[in-house]
Amino acid sequence: MKAIGLIIVVLAGALLLYSTQDFPFWGDPASPAGTHTATYYLTKAFEETSVPNVVTAVLADYRGFDTMFETGVIFCAGLGCFVLLRLSRSRDEDSYYRHVATGITLHIKSAKIPDVSSEFERIDTLWTPYDLIVKTVCRLLAPFVQLFGLYVIAHGHHSPGGGFQGGVILGASVILIAISHNMRTAIGRISEKTIHILMAVGVLLYSGIGALCILLGGNFLDYASLSRILFTNEIEARSLGILGVEVGVGITVMAVMITIYNNLSSDGRLDEGL
Amino acid sequence: MTNHYPALIVVLPLLFAFVVSGVAWVKKSLCFPLTIVGMGLSAGLSVCLLGRVATTGLVEYRMGGWETPWGIGYHVDYLNALVVTVVTVLAFINLIATRKNVVEETPEKAGAFYSLYLLFIVGLTGIVLTGDLFNLYVLLEVASLTSYALIGMGNGRAPMSALNYLFVGTVGGCFYLLGVGYLYIMTGSLNMVDVATLLPQMYHSSAVVMAFIFCLVGVGIKMAFFPLHMWLPNAYGFAPTAVGSLIAPLMTKVMVYVLIRLILTVFSVDFAFVILKMGDPMVWLSSLAIVAGAVFALAQKNLKRMFCYIIVSEIGYMMGGAWLGNNTGMTGAILHIFNDAIMTLCLFLCAGSIYYRVRGLELDRLKGLFSKMPVTMACLVAGALSIIGVPPTCGFFSKWYLISGGLEAGQYGFVAALLFSSLVNVVLFFRVIEISYYGDFEDHHGHGSSGEAVMEAPASMLVPLLIVSIGLIVVGLYTGGIVNHLINPLLLKQGFLG
Repeated sequence: MKAIGLIIVVLAGALLLYSTQDFPFWGDPASPAGTHTATYYLTKAFEETSVPNVVTAVLADYRGFDTMFETGVIFCAGLGCFVLLRLSRSRDEDSYYRHVATGITLHIKSAKIPDVSSEFERIDTLWTPYDLIVKTVCRLLAPFVQLFGLYVIAHGHHSPGGGFQGGVILGASVILIAISHNMRTAIGRISEKTIHILMAVGVLLYSGIGALCILLGGNFLDYASLSRILFTNEIEARSLGILGVEVGVGITVMAVMITIYNNLSSDGRLDEGL
Repeated sequence: MTNHYPALIVVLPLLFAFVVSGVAWVKKSLCFPLTIVGMGLSAGLSVCLLGRVATTGLVEYRMGGWETPWGIGYHVDYLNALVVTVVTVLAFINLIATRKNVVEETPEKAGAFYSLYLLFIVGLTGIVLTGDLFNLYVLLEVASLTSYALIGMGNGRAPMSALNYLFVGTVGGCFYLLGVGYLYIMTGSLNMVDVATLLPQMYHSSAVVMAFIFCLVGVGIKMAFFPLHMWLPNAYGFAPTAVGSLIAPLMTKVMVYVLIRLILTVFSVDFAFVILKMGDPMVWLSSLAIVAGAVFALAQKNLKRMFCYIIVSEIGYMMGGAWLGNNTGMTGAILHIFNDAIMTLCLFLCAGSIYYRVRGLELDRLKGLFSKMPVTMACLVAGALSIIGVPPTCGFFSKWYLISGGLEAGQYGFVAALLFSSLVNVVLFFRVIEISYYGDFEDHHGHGSSGEAVMEAPASMLVPLLIVSIGLIVVGLYTGGIVNHLINPLLLKQGFLG
């Protein structure tokens, strides 16, 4: 079996090599990929969309329909993770509480939860005592990480970045809280329900802007038709439309990152996994 | 609004999918009605689009208002319109028919389930309507990813089969993407029509040949073309009932559509048949697929797994027909996409309602079902007759085209394989009918606890099932109209060789 696999791999590699002989030279400016559509984008993108970053213009406007479905793929991944991993909460599980002042752990067999006051905190079986330094540093860091995430989303027009990258950074800030504190703290900040609704809201924002363009008389995702409600010219409207969809992408990507982390790291129990 | 139909068919289920997934956390009972509305709108618009295309011949749509090589365009001709109508209408019927299965099998995650259901349809309709090679890949990913998740929701070995499908399916997707990448390197364009106009001067370039082969292998994996079919029986067999009857009739058929689209529109018939001379080897492979699928089906002891291998065999029919290289064979292949989707849905819906009552699909548990579930079993017989190819069911007509195409092309091996698989289907289904008609019903040995008596499936399952079974005969009777008004003009326009 191993030998057959090896033969197939060598054959496939040989085919790949054979097929490259007719390729244009590496970095050839006269290659079809550099002269056909690319020339149009490079020369026209700024005057048609007023976005200096051509990559963003192509990604979110000329081929914005693809990007909408790319976001949809991310949404599917998040939903798939939830569907396959998340366990339904069983009410009869044991629960653990820690008395904050003394550090005594209470193990409660039934589902009766005492009044959670500031004296007790809910913990999990895999609870590890927290580290003050790590906790404090991460808590201080989180807002700056989020600020940077917002910058990356908003600055996609001018520099590398945009919704996907910014969304990942925003998601990472919440995951950082989950790692440095515990998952309950992170979920306390942003609950599972909120995450799932945000996940849908982000992509809905993207496709909603597209549908709004139809209602305003343009084709689907034709941001130019937004100029009627944004009180700008059509080119500015394209730029603003791109910003709108980037925000949508950012929201979805953030929520999906968090939901994938939560479900994967805790085997779908959403307690302290790591 | 009417000129937005192509976009709305894809976008409306998409919007509803997101709404359903959000609403699931607020009010669960709204999920199913919303899904019905989204799916129904999409199906209705598809039928309208088919009507428009039948009169005008071509409907184009530009996403974002950009001209096509720069932006993404939809290019809807007879073939797209026909397939998209089949996809949306059958998905709509299946949605209604399997409501009770979903409530029973995935009670807690119904919201996420319906969201994925809609997204799967978004993927398939997008694949069918698009005129852009890369857009097709993105939607292929949407359809595949949702199908992995949906299949993984089943019980028992379902997650394992979904993982297996994921590995194989991802490899298939990569092959297709690599093919598209090669085409982009050589032409600098992703639009199907644009690529088709740029390609003829480089038909003899090794990169273009490899691009075609990569696309062929990628699509072949996704459609479970023998010997790349290993993932299919487990994935479809272990999937939840509602998922099996959604994915089995649609996914593989849509992939056959992609292949036909690549041959007809992108690479051109000349390239595939005259320059590469792929016709003969592909027809032989298809014949092998037909025979292998039939033989494997004979060995199955479970109704649903038997159907899965019949699909493998049917894929061989369509691939063979498409590669015969004549008008009759291609007509048969396109017609069979349409017919096989309906037949497979009919069989899987029958299996779904039997499972709902009997709790098992092993052949020996079907004993005496004719007296207990007469309507379901009558529909199963209708589906069986169509698979075997008995007139006036639709299966007869497409098989007729395929066989006469095979004779025209002198591919007697293919004709023999078709006849062999028809005979095997007769054996398969008569075995099922014999067991369920003559066997005495046993309240499956030992499981005394299952006290409730087996009876006919509820009306919400039976009505859609009856519609599908009657559809088998109605479509069969209207075959002439479909061929004359939709398939012939398409093949004529594509300059298909006579």
